[in-house]
Amino acid sequence: MEIALAVPPDAVFIVLTTITLLAAILALQAKELIYGAIALGISFIGIAGLFILLDAPYLAMLQIAIYVGAVVVLILFTIMLVRREVGEEVVERGERGEGAAGLWIAGLLAVSIAGLAALAGPNLASTPPAGVLSVSELGPVLVTDYPVPLVILALLLSAALLGALMLAKVER
Amino acid sequence: MVALVSYIIVSAALLGIGIYGLSVKRNAIRILFAVEIIVNAANINFAAFTRYLNPPNVSGQVIVFYSIAASAMEAAVGLALILVAFRVNSSIDVRKMDKLKG
Repeated sequence: MEIALAVPPDAVFIVLTTITLLAAILALQAKELIYGAIALGISFIGIAGLFILLDAPYLAMLQIAIYVGAVVVLILFTIMLVRREVGEEVVERGERGEGAAGLWIAGLLAVSIAGLAALAGPNLASTPPAGVLSVSELGPVLVTDYPVPLVILALLLSAALLGALMLAKVER
Repeated sequence: MVALVSYIIVSAALLGIGIYGLSVKRNAIRILFAVEIIVNAANINFAAFTRYLNPPNVSGQVIVFYSIAASAMEAAVGLALILVAFRVNSSIDVRKMDKLKG
C-alpha cells in the first residue's frame, strides 16, 4: 500500500526511531512500574510506525491492536493486582553493581551487530526495490504457503488461554 | 530513502536495551518488558528484510504475524505465572524466587 507522505521518509524514520528507543529505555528505567508500562506502549506505537514505513500497514494495525490494546492493558492490570498488596514497587537494590555489567554485555552485543551491519552496508540495499507489498497478498500466502503453522498457532493460542486461566485460578 | 542498514541498527539497539533489562532487572514484570522489546527487535528485522527483497515478498510479514500472536500468548501466560509467584512468594523479585534451591 503506497502511503503519500508530506514529509520525507528519512525525517519520519528518525523521529519514530527516537521515540521508540527512548520509550524502550524509559520502560525499563522508569521509577514507577505503571509509567514503565505506558512507555512500553508508546515504544510499541513507534514500532507500528516503522511497520507503516516498511509497507506493512496490516502489521502496524496488528501491533497496535495486540500489543498496545491487549498486552499493555494486561500488564497494567497485573501491576494493579500485584501492587495493591505490596504497596510499593519491588525495591531494586543491588542493581548498581550489576547495572554496569549488564550495560557492558548489552552494549557490546548491540555495537557488534550494528558494526557488522554497517560493514555489510555497501552490499545491502540502500533504497527499497520498486514494487509494492499489498495487504491482499498476505491472505493467500498465509493460507496456501503456511497453513500448518497457522493451525498450530490456533491450537497453541487456545492452550495458552486455558493454561493462563488454570494458573491464575484461586484454589480454595 | 531509508537504507536497510538503518533498520538493522535500530533493531540492534532495541536488542541491546532488551538484553540489558533481562540481565539487570529484578522485577519479574520488568523482565517481561525486556522480553517483549527483544521480540519487537526481531520483528522489525523480519519486516525490513522482506521489504528490501527484490522483488518484495510478503513471507516475512507472515512470520511477524505469527511472532506477534506467539508473544501475545507468552505475555498472557507470563503474567499468570507472575500472579502465581506473587501469591506463593508475596514478592515478584526474581532473586527471591529460590524455593526450589536445595
